[in-house]
Amino acid sequence: MSPIVDPRSRFERWFPNQEWRLLILLAIELGIFAFTAANFFTTANAAELARLSVEIGLLALAQTCVIVTGGIDLSVGSMMGLAAIVFGSLWHDAGLPVGWSILLTLCLGTLGGFLNAYLITRLHTLPLIVTLGTFSLFRGLAEGLTEGIRNYTGFSPSFLFLGQGFWMGVLPPQLVIFAIAALAYWLLLERSVIGRGLSAIGFSEEGARYAGVPVRARLQLVYTLSGLTASLGAIIYVAHLGQAKSDAGTGYELMSITAVVLGGTSIFGGRGSIRGTLLGLAAIVVLQNGLRLSDGPAELVGVLTGLLLIATIGAGRISFQSEQQEAEVKNSQVAVLSAVIIAGALLVAGSNWWLVRSIKPSATASERRTVIAMMPKAKGDPYFVSCRIGAEEAAQELNVELLWDGPTDLDPAKQNEVVEGWITRGVDVIAVSVENQAGISTVLRKARSKGIKVLTWDADAQKDARDFFINQATPQGIGNTLVDEVARVLHGKGEFAIVTASLSAANQNEWMKYMKIRLAEKYPNVKLAVVRPSDGDRDRAFAETQTILNVYPNVKVITGIAAPAVPGAAEAVKQSGRRDVKVNGLSLPNMCKPFVHAGVIDSIILWNTKNLGYLTVAAGVALHNGTLHTGVTQLTAGRLGTLQVDGDEVMLGPPLIFTAQNIDQFNF
Amino acid sequence: MTGRYGREISTAIALAAVLVAVAVAAPQFYGARNLQQILINNTPVLIVAIGMTMVILVGQIDISVGSQFAIASVVAGLAAQTGVPIFIAGLAGMIAGAAMGVVNAALIAGAGIPSIVVTLATMVALRDVLRWTTQGRWVQNLPPAFQWAGFGQTSGEILITLITSVLFLAVAWALGNLPAGRALYATGSDAEAARLAGIRPARVVFFVFVVMGLLTGLAAALNAIRFSEVQSNAGAGVELKTIAAVVVGGASITGGRATLIGTLLGVLLLGIIGPALTFAGINAFWEKAIQGLIILAAVVADARGKARARVVPNR
Repeated sequence: MSPIVDPRSRFERWFPNQEWRLLILLAIELGIFAFTAANFFTTANAAELARLSVEIGLLALAQTCVIVTGGIDLSVGSMMGLAAIVFGSLWHDAGLPVGWSILLTLCLGTLGGFLNAYLITRLHTLPLIVTLGTFSLFRGLAEGLTEGIRNYTGFSPSFLFLGQGFWMGVLPPQLVIFAIAALAYWLLLERSVIGRGLSAIGFSEEGARYAGVPVRARLQLVYTLSGLTASLGAIIYVAHLGQAKSDAGTGYELMSITAVVLGGTSIFGGRGSIRGTLLGLAAIVVLQNGLRLSDGPAELVGVLTGLLLIATIGAGRISFQSEQQEAEVKNSQVAVLSAVIIAGALLVAGSNWWLVRSIKPSATASERRTVIAMMPKAKGDPYFVSCRIGAEEAAQELNVELLWDGPTDLDPAKQNEVVEGWITRGVDVIAVSVENQAGISTVLRKARSKGIKVLTWDADAQKDARDFFINQATPQGIGNTLVDEVARVLHGKGEFAIVTASLSAANQNEWMKYMKIRLAEKYPNVKLAVVRPSDGDRDRAFAETQTILNVYPNVKVITGIAAPAVPGAAEAVKQSGRRDVKVNGLSLPNMCKPFVHAGVIDSIILWNTKNLGYLTVAAGVALHNGTLHTGVTQLTAGRLGTLQVDGDEVMLGPPLIFTAQNIDQFNF
Repeated sequence: MTGRYGREISTAIALAAVLVAVAVAAPQFYGARNLQQILINNTPVLIVAIGMTMVILVGQIDISVGSQFAIASVVAGLAAQTGVPIFIAGLAGMIAGAAMGVVNAALIAGAGIPSIVVTLATMVALRDVLRWTTQGRWVQNLPPAFQWAGFGQTSGEILITLITSVLFLAVAWALGNLPAGRALYATGSDAEAARLAGIRPARVVFFVFVVMGLLTGLAAALNAIRFSEVQSNAGAGVELKTIAAVVVGGASITGGRATLIGTLLGVLLLGIIGPALTFAGINAFWEKAIQGLIILAAVVADARGKARARVVPNR
């Protein structure tokens, strides 16, 4: 009996879905970043890169199998959120040992995955709809169970080692787990009868059934595995950040799908490989990391990812079509196309390289300038945009290089990623507005241990993770002032409502905590009627305020505690014609000016954001050249004059209250 | 009972159930002003959902509408800032939307790349391009005539409702009665059969994505004129809201089956949940979970209906 001969060449067998394109792409990326990115080719950076890709990588592995069957799982990111807080509460509230908590969390993930599987297979509903439902359901349960506020920290070092440590000095432990998972998924999808069955289902469910594939059982398997893998990802995520919160994994479903699709897996099912997914993942992660280390703008990541997706999939699509047409010119066509893709990739990468070069100052000419890396909580937030203006001003005056980078989206893990990038790149001072205290403190400590000076501004980290905190106002001070302003408008008696950012926003929850304390202590007759979320969206704040006004006719003050929420609430009050209701809160003068003059907004509270940015850079320089150190009580900061230093905190001064009288003096 | 409009009926039942529950728990929900406001607030989502219904009808999907919405809002705002009439500014927003639609359309219908891949790419890329150019800044200092297009609040609200209603009715009629509308159903049901019947599926798909962009631009412009400033991150999550509404409204995600009535029911169902829960005094923390449950309930109800329908002929 002669062995079955695979008609495909060795090359085709290795790259059944043209994964070689990704390999070339990756090589180009690596080649370019080797020149442009500082300390790109170092073991430490490789380890960090690997570490950062594990969570999304796990989701992408599971997603590959799902997509190969022609389905999709949108619920994986939400499942991470649910699994993270369940894990935290099992360990913290129920007092279970970490091992048992992990086991039970994995069971929960399996159960959640099975819920998807059950609804899809038993009810013959499409995966997109079912997982869209559970996408809301899982995240909603996570938010409901924690009331958005509670989060779990203080995990044992042995558990945190899983996400933050190194084996033998170089190997991140979660990478080992990921490698095992990748191997298991590879065996399942590409080396087993089950995997063949999954492909068959993807090509034609009906056909697979006639061929004897147990379609229902196979589909149940992939969705259940997807839930299990997501909960495993959640545990690693918690160990990585040191914090379990309901917003874990926000947006990860799309990132995992992007990696899978970029990896050549057909979105219609049938074709797909784990190899491709790993390469797709690597292409995205290397791009992000390389751009950061080259000081390129973070927004380029999205633009380039989009272009790469279209270029690689488009080329694959066209050559696939030409194969089907069995045209004689097939090979040459493919060759031309490949050349076009490579040229395109080179063009994109080259222009990027040029951009990076042109942005970078000619460091060789003079001696190296001090590099201060400054991070907002969110780059697009108007509040931070105005902080940046002051920071740029100080950087110019003091002749230092300012790097400004941070999360563009809601991903709470992003801040860590950026700081890791800066450590690798090598900067002199890191200044962070902290979103996630427990999570970021670990990586800030690492920065300090490498000799980088660390500041926090706007929101503090754990005290031992930074040298100084630029204190514009304490949460307690903000909470008290907000409540005092409400009570002033209400003359000490009445009801008010709060429109916050998102329900899990750490700062806002902290302020509300102190607001409630202040209310209980000082204003027994002022009642907080309701708290509604706006998700940082002016339009949502508008609609929420309308509803509040309809439901609670006794509410006379709406307090917005996110910059876009105040103008949103003000517009709603204005349109309602209710002259007896006033809006106040925390926002930027420029956004609120018209409403303040129209008498809808009574007052807004804020510190001078430009000065905050200015002071942060000035303090960074002082810290670097040694004029700011433990024990000093004063700091001279350029145009701000001499400011008080209280222990390890630099004080900006009291917050400003903007009213119709003074708001026109400010422009930010 | 299920018959031709089975999906729409189960969505209508779900909507009715929510409305009855609200009537019991919080009757003050039925204040005229409140209903008016909910309606107005949902017009942008409805307009985008009309486009999404057509996209899903031809068996495609567009997840870039949120990013398109944000860009069209900013374009309309910037145009208004130059002092051109508000009507022209709105048109600029629509043209921007249509232009983005053309990009999607060319890649999907022209190059044959799957729509989910193309729109995933444009979603990410367009959002980041906007972030890069605006750096989060809002469009402020607009002329006073920007808000309500200079008509004042009451007339402005009527105008927006009127435009949305006319659009809804026109598209509903066109889908059912015009050859072009039937071509959408034909393409979505079976592109090959449609081709043999003399329809050019690629052209239909191209047209649908351009219209999708145009409608998103219109929705963004109508949304923007309700305010006196344009925010730079408008339309966050619009893609999920509209896809959920269309699908809950009974459209088949594989194409060939969708009605605008179903979409309207879907938009109303999902749009009412938030305010209704506030009226019922339920904590905001549970809102997303309840929203998920309602989507799943509509799906389950429909599946059970279908299962029963399947059993009947066998008896």
